[in-house]
Amino acid sequence: MDQNLARTYDYEVIKKFSIGAVIYAVVGFLVGVIIALELTFPELNANIPYISFGRLRPLHTSAVIFAFGGSVLFACSYYIVQRTCKARLFSDFLSNFTFWGWNLVVVLVVITYPLGITQGKEYAEPIWPIDLLITVVWVAYFINFVGTLARRKEPHIYVANWFLLSFIITVAILHITNNLAIPVSLTDSYPVWAGVQDAMIQWWYGHNAVGFFLTAAFLGLMYYFVPKQAERPVYSYRLSIVHFWALVFMYIWAGPHHLHYTALPDWASTLGATFSIMLLLPSWGGMINGIMTLSGAWHKLRTDPILRFFIVSLSFYGMSTFEGPMMSIKAVNALSHYTDWTIGHVHSGALGWVAMVSFACLYHMMPRLWNTQLYSLRLVNVHFWLATIGVVIYIVPMWISGIMQGLMWRAYDSFGNLSYSFAETVGAMHPYYLFRAIGGIVFLVGALVMVYNIAKTIAGANQNPAKAV
Amino acid sequence: MADNKDLDTTGHKWDDDEGFPLQEYNNPLPKWWLNSFYATIIWSVVYWVLYPAWPLPDGFTPGTLGTTMRGEYQKEMDEAKAKQKVFNDKLDKLSLKEISKDNQLLQFSISGGKALFGDNCAPCHGPAGIGVKAGGFPTLADDDWLFGGDLDTIQETITNGRNGQMPAHAKAAGGNFTDAQVDDLTQYVLSLSGKSTDKPAITRGDALFRGEAACTTCHGDKGNGSLKGTVNGEKPPQVGAPNLTDGIWLYGGDQKTVRESIAKGRMGEMPAWGAGIKESGRQLSALDIKKLTIYVHSLGGGQ
Repeated sequence: MDQNLARTYDYEVIKKFSIGAVIYAVVGFLVGVIIALELTFPELNANIPYISFGRLRPLHTSAVIFAFGGSVLFACSYYIVQRTCKARLFSDFLSNFTFWGWNLVVVLVVITYPLGITQGKEYAEPIWPIDLLITVVWVAYFINFVGTLARRKEPHIYVANWFLLSFIITVAILHITNNLAIPVSLTDSYPVWAGVQDAMIQWWYGHNAVGFFLTAAFLGLMYYFVPKQAERPVYSYRLSIVHFWALVFMYIWAGPHHLHYTALPDWASTLGATFSIMLLLPSWGGMINGIMTLSGAWHKLRTDPILRFFIVSLSFYGMSTFEGPMMSIKAVNALSHYTDWTIGHVHSGALGWVAMVSFACLYHMMPRLWNTQLYSLRLVNVHFWLATIGVVIYIVPMWISGIMQGLMWRAYDSFGNLSYSFAETVGAMHPYYLFRAIGGIVFLVGALVMVYNIAKTIAGANQNPAKAV
Repeated sequence: MADNKDLDTTGHKWDDDEGFPLQEYNNPLPKWWLNSFYATIIWSVVYWVLYPAWPLPDGFTPGTLGTTMRGEYQKEMDEAKAKQKVFNDKLDKLSLKEISKDNQLLQFSISGGKALFGDNCAPCHGPAGIGVKAGGFPTLADDDWLFGGDLDTIQETITNGRNGQMPAHAKAAGGNFTDAQVDDLTQYVLSLSGKSTDKPAITRGDALFRGEAACTTCHGDKGNGSLKGTVNGEKPPQVGAPNLTDGIWLYGGDQKTVRESIAKGRMGEMPAWGAGIKESGRQLSALDIKKLTIYVHSLGGGQ
């Protein structure tokens, strides 16, 4: 290894982001477990407003998506862009600014949400001053990333960077457009959008937060780490080009499927559904390229739990990106909308794909950052099984309860009267909520195993730098 | 690490100073993938033809099926309403007694009342009226009534609501009695259902019950409530004073809870659903109340 070159990379900011990611994973999952238990046993909120479901739920989603997922993306994108461009990050100041700025956002979110200070937009709950801070941090990230690309010493831009750049640009546009508002006090503002336009902008944002934050960006990570870990070339350059452009073009249209059977005009709803269906194969392009990269190296799955994480995450990705388009068809959506099926779908993507691919990336990257080796591959394997089993225990009950819920809501008897009251459908959910909480706990325990393994890895590196490979 | 297939890659290499360098094969697009992609596009075009899809300057392409989401919803609602209408029209005209004698109308009312009950009444009275632990809300599935369990009284209760007022007796709560007297009353009330054997206290409580505290005025000479009891041979005012002798309790029959009821009093309120709930503005139509009346009457205790 060329030590001189390695020394020119900025690993310090990546180390900080990756440690943040590991901590936020545990915090985010823990809050998820707490609210899952609150849904199962409502008395658990003890009538304390600060820990009631309505306030902790956005804290959970923001902690896992933006604190955990965001930190993984900052860390890995800084790692990837430097190594594939053979260039140090554009600006040390901007690198540090994005780290401290992003974490300040997280702190402000943790303070404001439990106090009930939000703007009430799903996945965009921060009030306007925090939104401004996010914007500044994001622009700094963009400049830092593009600046590094511009300084690259490689003639070609590696595919991972296309995905990452599309993610950074699109998230900026989504964030700014959805949060356009007129402040009336430090904590309150009125959105410039109103009525169904506001709803449409919100879900254009919400769906593409999934599309670009949780899909395109993590596909970018996949394109770097899977071939690196498998030590195989990417399966198809052609497929990567076609599915990249198809994905970013199709995704941006799909938002209206969140608003079927609402005040949204029918035509918008239809376009949302059809673009979601057309999105299926472009989404699968990433899965195919990831999994097929292993062709000829399948035996490595037997010995490499990190690779196992990658393959299972890609499988969950394929499953969720099949399920999503199905649910966007109006006739299916009439049953699935507002039910736990949606929650099951989201978590097969969020836990099965995003979290598991993140774990794999961190396990690959963190030892290299500290120039050491993982403390225990066996513990990675333990984490792998806990995570996989946890996801399954979570999503299967949510599918069952979601479909049951949908069927109960729409059931009429021969007189044309509703067969069930709403309260009865809530009562019927109870056992499934309990299983969901158990699945979440198993997943959380897996993350704690990771914390221990990573902490030991870093401690080992600091004690014995000579051990490095 | 050398790779035999180097020739098949695009020839680009990245990150090649440590471990395996990033390279890309240039495999063609999988056929099944490409064909499936085309299939989804064709599917979408068909969907655009069938449903309202593309915006136009003066509207949108309407779709050949002629369906809209609102239309689908309206159709299902209309179908359900049409089924209900046959029965609802009869229900409107007939009295509760007449409805309860017609088996089909009875079944219809119970089926309609069930969902209404679940959405409006169950939060306090429990699913199917079996009561909730927290107390204060009467069980509707038994034959122990406060104001009466015949059809007309149930309808009146739901339409105009009820207020059950038990005054406070302890001095600390604004009443006229000492703690010791409240204790005696408690023992007497418990003895009515065989739950106290403290004879001296029961005797003292009995005297208070009939005398100074005047409990008999509402609960009757025998303590069996305003509905069943009598005061000097006459019916007491119908204020919903519970029967204290049957071991069925509104707030709880343990000594602590009974004492609390006597000491601090109780304020029970059943909202007037016919007039609308003050807080929410939620209101039930006369027709819905008829269905609910029949449903509640059918729960087990109808008289």
